[in-house]
Amino acid sequence: MQTTPTRYAAAAFTNGYEFTAGSGYQLPEYPFVAPPEIATGERKRHPIVIVGGGITGLSLACALAQYGVRALLLDEDNTVGVKGASSRGICYAQKTLEIFKRLGIYQRIARKGVQWSVGRTFAGSDEVYAFDLRQQATHCLSQQPPFINLQQFYIEGFLVEKLLEGEAKDRQIDVRWRHRVTAFAQNADVATLSLTTPAGAYTLEAEHVVDCTGSRSPFRAWCQASVTAKKGDDRWCIADVRFKNPPPVERHTWIEAPFNEGRAVWQHLMADGVWRIDYQMPPDADPEAVSREDVVRARLHAQFSQLGQTLTPDDYEIVWVGPYAYRSECVDNLRHGRVFFAGDAAHVVSPFGARGGNSGVQDADNLAWKLAAVTQGRAAASLLDSYHAERHEAAEHNVLVTNRTARFLRPADGAERLFRTAAIGLAKRHAFARQLVNTGRMSTPNRYTRSAACVATSVGSGEATQNAAFAWANDSPGELTELLAWAQGRLLLLVFGPIKPAALAQLRALSTLSDLRCVQVLAADQPASAVEHIRDPHGHVRATCQLAPSPNRAAWALLRPDSYLAASGEKIDAGLVRAVATALGAPA
Amino acid sequence: MTSPIKLAHGFEDADAFYESLLDAHHGLDPAQSALLNARLILLLANQLGDTARLQACLDAAKLPATDRAPAPS
Repeated sequence: MQTTPTRYAAAAFTNGYEFTAGSGYQLPEYPFVAPPEIATGERKRHPIVIVGGGITGLSLACALAQYGVRALLLDEDNTVGVKGASSRGICYAQKTLEIFKRLGIYQRIARKGVQWSVGRTFAGSDEVYAFDLRQQATHCLSQQPPFINLQQFYIEGFLVEKLLEGEAKDRQIDVRWRHRVTAFAQNADVATLSLTTPAGAYTLEAEHVVDCTGSRSPFRAWCQASVTAKKGDDRWCIADVRFKNPPPVERHTWIEAPFNEGRAVWQHLMADGVWRIDYQMPPDADPEAVSREDVVRARLHAQFSQLGQTLTPDDYEIVWVGPYAYRSECVDNLRHGRVFFAGDAAHVVSPFGARGGNSGVQDADNLAWKLAAVTQGRAAASLLDSYHAERHEAAEHNVLVTNRTARFLRPADGAERLFRTAAIGLAKRHAFARQLVNTGRMSTPNRYTRSAACVATSVGSGEATQNAAFAWANDSPGELTELLAWAQGRLLLLVFGPIKPAALAQLRALSTLSDLRCVQVLAADQPASAVEHIRDPHGHVRATCQLAPSPNRAAWALLRPDSYLAASGEKIDAGLVRAVATALGAPA
Repeated sequence: MTSPIKLAHGFEDADAFYESLLDAHHGLDPAQSALLNARLILLLANQLGDTARLQACLDAAKLPATDRAPAPS
């Protein structure tokens, strides 16, 4: 695949990534430090080595640091973003934003990014349908908006700065830039990685390796990991454009754009007034031809002239251009011995509905608390197997959903195109047919139905909770992510309503025996019987745990550090004790 | 296992519906006819809605090979 190089300028390490007119983005550079092992020849063993400092690897490193787990992060580059190689993610879903809240970078993302919830879909010049995600139950309880758009390198930069906070000696994560892994082997005892750096080569050992190296992962071959893949003839070309007078803050999609020879076009705003406009090209189009500057400009002028505006070259600036092909890939087993595949190294989907970078961050969040619990001796090693069960199901779902969208947008000639024409024709007049118009299904948290670490028989098990608001015991406002942070990587048992003295004694015993934090959740007027309690005056915590909205009804919910429900129930009994063991990976 | 869809009598007035269906296609070229049928399928499918019944309709529509009429030559 050909790409047009961006005008990235080299810059010293800086806290900002200012957009400079005429010179593009200046990305930060991080210093290479020669590792002491090169001089000493020592072969050190590390409990956890993360390979790849993209959005997945950096999220994992930040999460591990929060749980107090030491890890080594290796990145072959010395900056965030990939110079000219890819446009990468722009759209961050609520679940991902909630994770960033826990990782401590959400405020920066909210300040810098663009919040949106309205999407409009057009066929020809007619609007087919519009949606507003704020009005949907799947998104309404959270303290985070449905989506924020922001260039991926900003998020990576924020994560790096989080990792580099404080004194080097106090940091949990040792970040090593310009380290390339050149060989890998593993046996029953240990994994061995050979590295090259500007100061020379060395070897290190790891008990766990997390492959976050992206879609060209060398670990797939080293582990002989089988991959299920699908590649079509559909070709797209992105133009990231900065306008003097920007279009509205809405996601616009055209299924059949009159200004693009009846093919699809996407339009999405990012930070700094930059718009991503993504054009569907003829099947098997020549990537070099479609991304030539004069061709890109002609497309833009045609688009605006169709909308009744005359665009002159002074009205906008092309920030980045890149052609790409839709495809899907999924590594069939996300765990190979000591190696865990995460992010694009594990799965690649077509870019519909924010399922690429977002699923990488969610992979990281899923794996982090399990690695923490196992390496700190708080959970059975078998807990790590649930990573594959849960995140492979998520990846398969994302592949299924995005392939359906790809098929709607690039129907085969004959019956497939016929039905699309029929669906679009009906959708302009009738609400029911709008459900069939598929320009991408915006991602919601994946449900885990196959995991041995979720109690399949209980309500809501394997489903994500939203970051609901409540009041702390002293009436100050709180939210679920803060409660999870307080639990420090332990399971969080929420017990709703009044607790009888006998049950209270059982809970105390359970908290002492198991790796668990217990909190009573009360309505506004209920008396507290546990020291650790919160108020849920609007029933939002109950609702997000999928419990009936009756405050006097006894219930409990077992939340994992990744905010997923492991189990729920009513009685404080042996069933609860078993649920805690299950959630920590105990064999059934 | 019983089928989740009606395969015996369901029409209130079968002859009248059949006539209306043919009339709807009258004067259309094959492409227009195909598009009308596609729209009709989507409208009718929405009346059913239920996934199991829709799948049963799809399965029933794919007649066994021995039942299928030969392609017009």
